[in-house]
Amino acid sequence: MGYDPANPMADRITDIGPPHYEQFFPPVVKNNYGKWLYHEILQPGVLMHKAENGDECYTVRIGAARLISIELIREMCDVADIHCDGYLRWTTRNNVEFMVDSKAKVQPLLDDLKSRGNRMPVGGTGASVSNCVHTQGWVHCHTPATDASGVVKAVMDELFDYFTSHKLPAQVRLALACCLNMCGAVHASDIAILGVHRKPPMIDHDAITGLCELPLAISACPLGAVKPATAKNSAGEDVKSVKVNAERCMFCGNCYTMCPAMPLADPDGDGIAILVGGKVSNSRTMPSFSKLVIPFLPNTPPRWPETVAAVKNILETYANDARKYERVGEWAARIGWEKFFEKTGIPFTIKSIDDYRLAYDTWRTTTQFKFTSHIK
Amino acid sequence: MPTIEHNGSSFTVDEDGFLTGNMDAWNETWVDYVKTVEGITEMTDEHHKVIEILRDYYKKNGIAPMVRILSKTTGFPLKRIYELFPSGPGKGACKMAGLPKPTGCV
Ligand code: HEM
Ligand code: HEM
Ligand code: SF4
Ligand code: SF4
Repeated sequence: MGYDPANPMADRITDIGPPHYEQFFPPVVKNNYGKWLYHEILQPGVLMHKAENGDECYTVRIGAARLISIELIREMCDVADIHCDGYLRWTTRNNVEFMVDSKAKVQPLLDDLKSRGNRMPVGGTGASVSNCVHTQGWVHCHTPATDASGVVKAVMDELFDYFTSHKLPAQVRLALACCLNMCGAVHASDIAILGVHRKPPMIDHDAITGLCELPLAISACPLGAVKPATAKNSAGEDVKSVKVNAERCMFCGNCYTMCPAMPLADPDGDGIAILVGGKVSNSRTMPSFSKLVIPFLPNTPPRWPETVAAVKNILETYANDARKYERVGEWAARIGWEKFFEKTGIPFTIKSIDDYRLAYDTWRTTTQFKFTSHIK
Repeated sequence: MPTIEHNGSSFTVDEDGFLTGNMDAWNETWVDYVKTVEGITEMTDEHHKVIEILRDYYKKNGIAPMVRILSKTTGFPLKRIYELFPSGPGKGACKMAGLPKPTGCV
């Protein structure tokens, strides 16, 4: 029966978990599960997997905006019904993959996708710029310093050619997070776009007592900038509140996450930082964190031209200079970061020098360096 | 801020139905009201024990207790707390006890 608000626990189903993935395997995948021999990338966006018994599975990958309507999901279901016996899958970068079991079915699928305008662009394989892992931004979250969907659309429009081709030294992973909670992958991506604040929180002394667990706001601060304090509310009464030492605050926004009476978003203060050189794979070199190279670019909706230009500049400098298989971070480490800044023409600022706790290890304890334009 | 009227009392709440004032706005009428919206048919001694411990802890420490501390001090495992408060210790018990709305990446 339908949900009964007067009796919410009646007929309640819980703890059933997700359905088993095997239910949704295309037959060719189910039959050859664990028995694949090798794969090939036939062209950008198209893969072929060969099984021990000779079976073949052809996969066509398309870009998706991640934030999508049920109408678009239904259209994807239509494509899957027409070409793939109703099967499809999403990837870990929120691309969508259509699988067919013979080569003859690939071209009709590609033609159909092409006929649907640019809603289902084929690509994202091999040494390309695949989808940009991103977050909620102004669409849904309350702690962002920038938008997610808007910036990603602007960047991917400019880099679209790299999505549909394989012309880079290695794959380049883009990620965006709209605040430094870093939901997603910015801390370990080749090029990362991160929303940052530049002003300390405001304190709403009228609301804070009833709204916030003050010890949580105090312990949320990585720099000990928040202290308990008695303050006057607008009625002139003494209330239990907090005080922020603005000199210590680095605008992380953690205190606002814990305490709604400490907002810090600001249209002029907020913007974007760019980090580069992270990776999660173990191939050749260890996984690494991305490092800050551009401390601030303004929020300029709807097309964020400064951010788009910065990402494109880094990508193309890397593409022209790096060796085959070299990820952005491996390239920067080989040529030296001073050369990275010189080649990209990015001004090196004091903001890139670590000053948090374990900072010492990031400074240079060697005489080995190259003279660059930045040390004139 | 919206207000809720219940049995002659009036309460200022946020959009999720948590009391926004300080702890003083709380009384038995509030408990009776939350009971009706949180799917609790009858208040038992166990319900009252959880609420009392939450309020004592909040007054002493300025924060809601961690779930493990709530279980330890009440003697109720989490499963029992959910049986008492179907929406859980945060949305159910803390709301009924008049504590501030839980924050963070809930
Ligand atoms: C406790 C704080 C957090 C909460 C409550 C939270 C909440 C969520 C939610 C609701 C989802 C969607 C899950 C789904 O689609 O079923 C999600 C996905 C995700 N979150 Fe978080 N998040 C938190 C912190 C973080 C942090 C700090 C990171 C990264 C360092 C992160 C990385 C991710 C990633 C990568 C996904 C996508 C997973 C996938 O679908 O493959 N989250 N998170
Ligand atoms: C800073 C704290 C938070 C973090 C890190 C976080 C993280 C996330 C992430 C990563 C997702 C997946 C977004 C997507 O895939 O589109 C998500 C979805 C969601 N979050 Fe949060 N969240 C936070 C706070 C909240 C709060 C306070 C609420 C509710 C009051 C909330 C409610 C939801 C809901 C309902 C969804 C699913 C809605 C959708 O898919 O559009 N989140 N969250
Ligand atoms: S990165 Fe920050 S602002 Fe963006 S969705 Fe995550 S918590 Fe919200
Ligand atoms: S914004 Fe971050 S650094 Fe500043 S007071 Fe809040 S928690 Fe501390």
